[in-house]
Amino acid sequence: MNKTFDRTSSILFALIGALFVAESRNISTSAYGSEVGPNLFPMGLGIILILLSLRLFWETFRYRESVTSAVVFRHKRFLLMLLATVLYAWFLEDIGYVISTFFFLLAGFRLMGSASWWKSAAVALAFSGGVYAVYVHILKGTLPGFPTWLGL
Amino acid sequence: MEALQYLADGFTIALQWHNLVYAFVGVLIGTSVGVLPGIGPMSGVALLLPVTASLTNGLSPEQAAASALILLAGVYYGAMYGGSTTSILLNTPGESSSVVTTLDGYQMARQGRAGAALSIAAIGSFVAGIVALVALVFLAQPLSEVALTFGPAEYFSLMILGLCAVSGLGGKSMTKALIMTVFGLLLATIGIDNVSGVARFTYDIPDLYQGLEFLTIAVGLFALGEVFKTILEADGTEAQLIKVDRILPTKADLKRSAAPIARGSLLGFFIGLLPGAGATLASFFSYIVEKKVSRQPERFGKGAIEGVAAPESANNAASGGAMIPLLTLGIPGSGTTAILMGALLMYNVQPGPLLFSDHPQVAWGLIASMFIGNVMLLILNLPLVKVFAKIIETPPQYLIPLIIAISVFGVYAVQISTFDLMLLIACGVAGYLLAKNDFPLAPLVLGLVLGPMIENNMRRALTTSNGDFLIFLQKPLSAIFLACALLWLVVPMILKLRGRQVVVNEEA
Repeated sequence: MNKTFDRTSSILFALIGALFVAESRNISTSAYGSEVGPNLFPMGLGIILILLSLRLFWETFRYRESVTSAVVFRHKRFLLMLLATVLYAWFLEDIGYVISTFFFLLAGFRLMGSASWWKSAAVALAFSGGVYAVYVHILKGTLPGFPTWLGL
Repeated sequence: MEALQYLADGFTIALQWHNLVYAFVGVLIGTSVGVLPGIGPMSGVALLLPVTASLTNGLSPEQAAASALILLAGVYYGAMYGGSTTSILLNTPGESSSVVTTLDGYQMARQGRAGAALSIAAIGSFVAGIVALVALVFLAQPLSEVALTFGPAEYFSLMILGLCAVSGLGGKSMTKALIMTVFGLLLATIGIDNVSGVARFTYDIPDLYQGLEFLTIAVGLFALGEVFKTILEADGTEAQLIKVDRILPTKADLKRSAAPIARGSLLGFFIGLLPGAGATLASFFSYIVEKKVSRQPERFGKGAIEGVAAPESANNAASGGAMIPLLTLGIPGSGTTAILMGALLMYNVQPGPLLFSDHPQVAWGLIASMFIGNVMLLILNLPLVKVFAKIIETPPQYLIPLIIAISVFGVYAVQISTFDLMLLIACGVAGYLLAKNDFPLAPLVLGLVLGPMIENNMRRALTTSNGDFLIFLQKPLSAIFLACALLWLVVPMILKLRGRQVVVNEEA
């Protein structure tokens, strides 16, 4: 177990609980025909969350930190993949499904250690083109198409 | 024999050709998901949830719900079959409910009996699946009739019981499990309130008015969370696969495993019925039971076929048993069933006692398809076990980015919003961090699914009692449920205080 994470998260959860309690005071306290308003449930839960977080905080003083195992963390690879995913999601609507998915997969395959550009590009193209063709043309679903400035 | 009549109707639905295809695709993907280490039944079902939603686009809501559920349930029990393969061949469980199988399964494989171990696991899973289904057929109607007499107060307390049970067994720390439950319930309050129409915690952001989408959060937490974990922590060492030669078990093997399969099926089924106790716990207990009843307990851990047959039967029976509270009471007892419930709700089908009278197509079609699916799995698994073993060798450098791409496609196809994609990625990171630090994710999803129903029932009950909270204790049945809920939390705590080891359920 990781004390720093547990403490930080307990404080964070307590703050979330407090936020819900504070904000639920702005919600109307009664509904038409009922004495129980929409504020009661979130407020009660917020209070319980604060109490539980306090207990978790208290528990962090009572256990001994276990020795961390010898896992090698590959932070660089993870951050790059995360960045690629965020960019992919962000530009999906702007440059269309096929193009964005192709570039995301190509980057992803290479980041994860695929040795060949050609093989990566082929798999990426097959997936992005295949999904688009099946979903949009056969199943009549909606996905962002090609950007208009391409003139397709 | 009313149940048999309904079941026959169910078969006419399950035998429609498109539903047969859905069942086949479901069990095929399920087996693959079970075989691949890193993707468990929960992330598999979560990943496919949006995909099925877009596949069933053209069907009428009722048919779409039946077909989607047939596929997703196929993934669920297919994964239970597939999980044994890696346990036996690689000594790495494909999902948590196959952990015990490694003990004897891998030893058998090293002795050159890999084929026998794999096939006995498949046969055991099949028998257990059928046992659980027969029980489901005969219990479903009576149980849902009982549940029909429940009022809002009883429902509220029953759902609290379900949440407490899952939190009590939910992980290494009960406090953390409870925090996740309450957090899930709180997230469910975001959006327009169903009863009064008041917007809560939306801050005028249009994306929040509908509330946080269950599907986005489930896919993010489970599928992306697992993927991020693999990206960060995979060590890249290649494990050595053991070759499979002879597939069919010998007569002696069959004779020896008959009784363990029967015991495992029954035990697994009853454990599966309990909310919170799932397939992992079932396989664990059945292994212990077999070791206790065996005349030669020293053989366990050295390649005893009973040690493969019993837990593999138990985990499959448990996954069947877990369908009962979901379908009849509308209360999911585990993360995976919570996602199945989310799927039903997406199609506007409310699981619970009314499911069998309002949507018999969905309920009985699903049950009948599970019979067919189990037969398919047996046929698939015996001759094709070698092919499935090959799936383990799928290069991860291709698999990982493809899983991310499928998650993004699935969520976007259903939600058509960039906001949901960003939420998806955030949930993926959160899911990784939380799971890594022993915050169980299943209670959060459960809270998210049950939140609106708990709140509605609570408010309806309080409206009838003019705001008096004692109504939950005055109704006898409701009081019993609440007492059980309390016991479920207090008993493990007392056991822990007295220094006992408490078996906790890993997510499954």
